[in-house]
Amino acid sequence: MEKTRWLVLIYRIPREPSRYRVAVWRKLKTLGALYLQDGVAVLPEDAVTREQLEWLQVRVREAGGEATIWEARPNTTAEDTELVEAFRSSRESAYQVLIAEAERIRRKAELGAENARLWEQLAKAEREFRAERRRDYFRSPLRKQAADALKDAREAVREQGKAEGLGAGSGG
Amino acid sequence: MLWATRRGCHVDRTACIWLIRRFVDGEAVFAFFRDVAEAPEGAELFDVAGARLSHHGDDCSFETFLKEYDLQDPVLLEIAEIVHDADLMDEKYGRPESEGLDAIVRGMQLALPDDEVLTRHTDALYDGLYAYLGREVL
Repeated sequence: MEKTRWLVLIYRIPREPSRYRVAVWRKLKTLGALYLQDGVAVLPEDAVTREQLEWLQVRVREAGGEATIWEARPNTTAEDTELVEAFRSSRESAYQVLIAEAERIRRKAELGAENARLWEQLAKAEREFRAERRRDYFRSPLRKQAADALKDAREAVREQGKAEGLGAGSGG
Repeated sequence: MLWATRRGCHVDRTACIWLIRRFVDGEAVFAFFRDVAEAPEGAELFDVAGARLSHHGDDCSFETFLKEYDLQDPVLLEIAEIVHDADLMDEKYGRPESEGLDAIVRGMQLALPDDEVLTRHTDALYDGLYAYLGREVL
C-alpha cells in the first residue's frame, strides 16, 4: 500500500504571553493534528492542510517563535499504519458524544419536547458533525454511525413538527 | 497596478480579487505564481505568507484588506465574516453561508483551473452576495 504523505510542523514559541501558545495549540486541535511530541505536530498532506499549516507558521513567527514545515514519510509501513490508526481513534470520542446527542434529540422528539428547541439542538449537532468530518482524514469507523444517528434524529424532529403543525392547525 | 498571489485560488483569494477590482483598483492586473520566488518584480503581493496584505493574527487576507484600505462598508464587513469562516474553518462568526461558499468555490476551482477565468466567474458570485446582503443590511 502507498504510504501517506505527511506534513510535520516543528515549532517553538515563547512561553509568555501564553495566549499565542494556546492559540496555536487550539488551531492545531481544530485541524485535527496529532502531536508526535511537544512542539511537533503532524497532519496528512493535502492542499488545505498545507495552507493552514503555512498560516500557522506565520502566526508562530509573528509571536516571536520559530517554525518549519516538513514533508515526511515514516520509515516503515508499520509506523505509517500506526499513525493512521492514531488519527482514526483520535476522532472516536467526538463521534461518540455526537451519537449520544443525536439519540437524545430523537427520544425527546418522540416524547414531544418543544420542536423549535430540538431544531436548534439538531442544527448544532449537525454543525459539529461537519466540523468533525472535516478533520476525520481517515474515515473513522464511527463516522457512519454518527451520520445515521443524526439522520434518524432529523427524521424524528421533522415528523414531530409535522404532527404538531397538523394538531395546532398552523401547518404550511 | 500589478497584483500577485499564489495559484489555485480558493475563497480568501477569489474574494480579495473581487474586492480589489470593485473597491481598490479598477485597473488591476493579476499574476498567479507557483512559488513566491517567481512573483513578478514590483507586484503587490497578497495572501502570501509574510506580505502586508495577508493573514495577520486572527485575520484572513480579506479582513486585512478591509483594515489596510479602511473600507467600512457594512456589507463588506459581513462578507468578511463569511470569508473568514470559509477560509479558516474556525467558526469564529458562525456564518452558515461559509459552508456553501466553501463547497462552491472549491468546485469552481476544480472546473476552472485557470485562475484568471476562475476569478471572472467568482466575481459574479461575490457581486450576488453583496447585492443579497446589501438588501438586508442597508
